[in-house]
Formats: sequence, structure tokens, C-alpha cells
Amino acid sequence: MAEEESQFEEFEQIDFLRDRHVRFFQRTLQVLPERYASLETTRLTIIFFALSGLDVLDALDVIDRNTMIEWIYSLQVLPTEDQVNLSRCGFRGSSHIGIPYSTKGPGVLHPYDSGHVAMTYTGLCSLLILGDDLSRVNKQACLAGLRALQLEDGSFYAVPEGSENDIRFIYCAASICYMLDDWSGMDIQKAIEYIRGSLSYDNGFGQGAGRESHGGWTYCAIASLCLMGRLEEALSQRELDRIRRWCIMRQQSGFQGRPNKPVDTCYSFWVGATLELLDVFQYTNFDKNRSFILSTQDRLVGGFAKWPDSHPDPLHAYLGLCGLSLIGEPSLRKVHPALNITQRAFQHVQQLQQTWRDSTGSCSRQH
Amino acid sequence: QDTTFLSQEIPPVFLCFRDRKEWADLEPVPQDDGPNPVVKIAYSEKFSDVYDYFRALLKNDERSERAFALTSEAIELNAANYTVWHYRRVLLQALSKDLREEMRYITAIIEEQPKNYQVWHHRRMVVEWLNDPSEELEFIADILSQDAKNYHAWQHRQWVIQEYKLWDDELDFVENLLEEDVRNNSAWNQRHFVISHTSGFSDAMEREIQYCLYQIKKAPNNESAWNYLKGILQPLGLSAQPGLLERVLELKQTHCSPYLLAFLFDCYEDALENSKENVAEEEQQKTLKKALEICQLLAQEDTIRKEYWLFLGRSLKNKHGSSDPSDEPLADDPEPSVPVSEQQEMS
Repeated sequence: MAEEESQFEEFEQIDFLRDRHVRFFQRTLQVLPERYASLETTRLTIIFFALSGLDVLDALDVIDRNTMIEWIYSLQVLPTEDQVNLSRCGFRGSSHIGIPYSTKGPGVLHPYDSGHVAMTYTGLCSLLILGDDLSRVNKQACLAGLRALQLEDGSFYAVPEGSENDIRFIYCAASICYMLDDWSGMDIQKAIEYIRGSLSYDNGFGQGAGRESHGGWTYCAIASLCLMGRLEEALSQRELDRIRRWCIMRQQSGFQGRPNKPVDTCYSFWVGATLELLDVFQYTNFDKNRSFILSTQDRLVGGFAKWPDSHPDPLHAYLGLCGLSLIGEPSLRKVHPALNITQRAFQHVQQLQQTWRDSTGSCSRQH
Repeated sequence: QDTTFLSQEIPPVFLCFRDRKEWADLEPVPQDDGPNPVVKIAYSEKFSDVYDYFRALLKNDERSERAFALTSEAIELNAANYTVWHYRRVLLQALSKDLREEMRYITAIIEEQPKNYQVWHHRRMVVEWLNDPSEELEFIADILSQDAKNYHAWQHRQWVIQEYKLWDDELDFVENLLEEDVRNNSAWNQRHFVISHTSGFSDAMEREIQYCLYQIKKAPNNESAWNYLKGILQPLGLSAQPGLLERVLELKQTHCSPYLLAFLFDCYEDALENSKENVAEEEQQKTLKKALEICQLLAQEDTIRKEYWLFLGRSLKNKHGSSDPSDEPLADDPEPSVPVSEQQEMS
């Protein structure tokens, strides 16, 4: 199929190479060379970038949905017969522990097998993007696993064995609760306190209290509060205005993640989506943003890199597309800024949740 | 005794674990991705061999020296595998390994891979077990000398300082970094961190304002310095600090920047928000006029944010403007101050 020409003559030098990006994600979903070894434990997040990327490109037809769905379900950590591992349930990032492939329960007891909060989050997203109805997800087990990860201060570990704890995993937790339509998975109030505590003197959010403000953590903070439905409860109008200012100052051409740091494609989404959630993305400069993102496009292999003349990777390829989607690139689907999936996938989530509510005949449980 | 370099005729090569007799009792466990693997990483034979044996050890939860040695091999191949690090920590404790030696080990790994989450977390655990932070500040300083904005390094530094109360020399450390690069936003953040946890900002306020203005004169287009200045004044109100507005207006003549202009706008806005009842309407409108002029100036000087500055001006005018119809209209239609759209609020 011939490459599609840009429809904007004024951007003729930097046209968007849709087909290259489709092929980039297709290749990502197949085989990666050994130098990508460091991605082993996070393979499910890579699937998410590729699937959601293809969804944004409206190209999900190039993959075999059922194959993907089965593989994702094989990563679910299910309860054992006696449910002794309930607090370790969720989704794994990959098969690296060596559990034999299985898409159904009961779970296998293994001394080191447990879910990872970011994998549970991207696993659920990926299933939803593929149109799955989550009927094979053990929701109660996922939520039990999630509860086990929250600390006293409101933040979350990634895994029950312990890990670093910070605002990223609050976002994962909020997304999981949102998708499962069940907030019993977390103590919202404590999470809000941690988020508020992460607000820096300069009005961005750091990874935790006292830490330097950063575009990624600011996204996690604001998107979490939006998913919880607590944005205006947690932050005053004045605070919101100040956060808007911090975010909008990140634009230099594309967006940077911190003051006085270079711009990087992924922040076109992290900061752009935050600005969208705060209703001021419309006041950014779309032209300069677009020009920068496209300057990081790899014209040969497809995908996007963090900087021009750098190697593309799945994360930047996906977030570059999302950044373009936010500014209304015509061939791209709209992205839900808080949940970071297409609006199409989001509608599927909503419909699914309606059927859940209809079948139980009760309102979703709020904490 | 592991006979890795067992050979007779040929030069020493890496011997697969599956060929080492000391490992013969263990059945290697391959990765099982099922019939249709997705995002499959094509591992070499050596890589698979190490990890097949890692998986075997894990399954049995073996606690042995050979297991500990294998984790080093596994880490060398993939230092981002958090399960390997966790298992290594289990072994460190089960085998009562020398934690000082582990500190040397993790130091070397972080030097090679300073942007990996797992290695910093591992170091924190070892420091906690030893209850000895004595090497930390120097080590982190060394990492920062290679990348002065490494987020992991700063996070670890803040943890060590706060946990072990190592505040004494940190302000000096920050000042040195700011001497090297006054635009280092991480260093400015650390400055705020130190002062807020030690002296606090009340007595230090004048000194800190001086420090900011001094740095701004040296490098006017430095967002970090302006963010810091605004940040320390914000809790009390920008218009509450006597004489500050005048000092900034003076600076505007010689050291102007979008950050200075935005600061002025914020001062005026703060004055409008917090004006006392006895401030005359006329005074208010004068302040508003100055603020709106700044917005126009910003729309010209900071063009990438032109729409935002105009939006701010409109919002301010709608909030504080008089009902005088002779007021000059700003570019674009008036808009109410923006509440977060209900569409964005999810329930």
C-alpha cells in the first residue's frame, strides 16, 4: 500500500508516514532482538504500546485479535485452589518466571510468581482495546492484589515482594479500578493525600513529596484525580491554575519534561494530555508541537524517537502518535486523555460496564 | 567449585550451565509463551541457558551459593529483571552474605546503568540493612557529576538525607552545583528541599530572594530561578513581600524575560485577588490595566504561548474588570474563567 501523502501542503517537508508506523508496531509485536532484553519483564506494556498505537492508527485489522487475547490471559496470575496467593494476583509482564503456559485457572503456586501493577493495568487496557469482555479476568483477585500493594502513605508498590513506591503506580491502580468499575481496590483518600503531597513549590508534581516536578508524574497525578472523579475536590481553582501554568511552560517547540531540559516526544502526550484534562491544551502551539514530533519520526523503520536522529522505540512511537492525536492529526483516532486509550476503546469500556451494572442490578461500588 | 573454564584443547569459553556437572541435578525451565508468542525476544543460547537455570532455582526456591552466583550472571544479562534482584536479596539474607561486598557490587552496577530503577532500589535495601549511609552522599555526587539531573540519583539522595538526617552540608553541595550550572532545575529543587526541612523560609526569605535575584541577573532567561522565587513567595502571597514588585520592575529594564513578565503578572493578579476592602476601585483597575498590558507584552514576547497569555488576560478581566463599557477590549471573545470541564470528570 502506498504511503499516504500529508493533506497539509504547508507541512510538506514533514509528512506523517502512517504505513511505516503500522509496520513498526507489527514488527514490535512479533520478534525483538536480544538487545531488547531489558524489556523482558515489561513485555505486556510493549504490547499495550503496539496495540493502542495500532488502534490510534485505526489499523487493528492487521493483527490476529484472538491470538493476542489468549497470550494476554496466559499472563494472569490466578488464585490457587485454596486462594492462598490472592494478594499476589493480577497480571505478569511476561513468562520470565517460567510458569507453564495456561489461559485458565486455577493458579499454579510458585514461590515467586505475582502480578505487577503496571502489567495489570496495561493487560486490562490491551484486552479492552482488542474488544475482549474481561469475562476471564478474575476481578476480585486483581483487586485483592491491588489492595496488597498500597502503603500507609497512599502510594503503591509495583509488586507484593516490594519495590520502589511512587505516583506512577497510583496511576496504574486508579486505571485498574476505573476499568473494573470498582474502587475497593484502593484507598482513594490516602492516594489523594500522597498526590497532594507530591505537588512541588513550582506547581508541577514530583514522584513523591520533595521531589523535582516532572511532566510524567504530573500526568499521573492529574489523570489519577480525573479517573477518581476528585480533581476539583483535591485541588483548588488557584492550584489548578498554577498547575496549568507549570504545564504550559513546558512547551519549547515540542514539550520538555522538566524546566531547562531538552524537549522529548513523549511529553507531547504526558504534558499535552494533562493540559487537555485541565481544559487549556487549546492554548498551546499546535504547529510547533507537530513539527517537533514529526522531526523525531523515523522515516525508514517507522515509529518515533525521543529526539530527532535517534532510534525509535515502542514507547515514543506510541506517545508520539498520541501527541499528534491530541492536536487533531486527521488520520488518527482520538485518545482519551486520562485513560490513555482511544475514545473508541473507551466506549467499549463504558458499554461493558453498563452490561455489568445491568446484570448485577446495582450501582458501581464507590469507596 | 564451579569449573567454568573447563577445557583441554581449546581456549577457555563460557560453559553453559547445562554442561556443568555441578548443575546436573537441576532441570532447566524454559520460558513458555505458548503457541503464539507476542513481542518475543530472540535470546541467544547463552542468555537462555542462564535464565533457564534461574527459573529452575526460583521454582525450588533454592537458597545456595551457586544460586547467588547465578544471579550475578542473570543481572549482567538483564539488570532490569526485578525478580532476579528480589531473589538475590532473599539469598543475601538467607546466606548471610557480606553486605559491604554487596555495596561494592551495586556501586559498580549503578555506575554502568545509572537510570535503572531496580539497581537504586537494591542499593537502598542494602543501605537500610547495614544501617550505614556513610558512602551515599559521595557516591551520589559522583553519579551526579556524570549527569547532574539524574532523577534516580536525586531521589536516592533525598531519601538518604531525610532518613539519616544528613542535612548539614547539603546547602553547600547545592550551591556548588548551581555555580556549575545555574539552570540545573534539580539543584534548585534540592535547595528548596533542604531549606524547607531545616531553617524553613521565614528567616531565610530575604536571603533567598537576594540569592534568586543575583542568579537571575547572571542568567536572566532561567525558568528555574524564577520558579523558585515565585515558589517561596507563593504561600504568603506574591504581593505581600514589601518592595519586591519594585525590584522586579527595575530588573525588567535590563534583565527582562518571559519569566519576569509572568512573575509581574502573577504579582498583579495576587494583588487583585487579595486586595483589602479599603483598596479603591480605581486602584484595582490600575492594577488590572498593568496586568493586562503585561499579557499583551507576553503575547508578543513569548509567542509560543500567545493564546495562553491572551486567555489569561481575558480571564483576569472577566474576574476583576469594572462594568465600564469604555474599557478596551482584548483580542478574542471574552470567556469565563475556566472550570475543569465536566466531560473530563469521570464518575
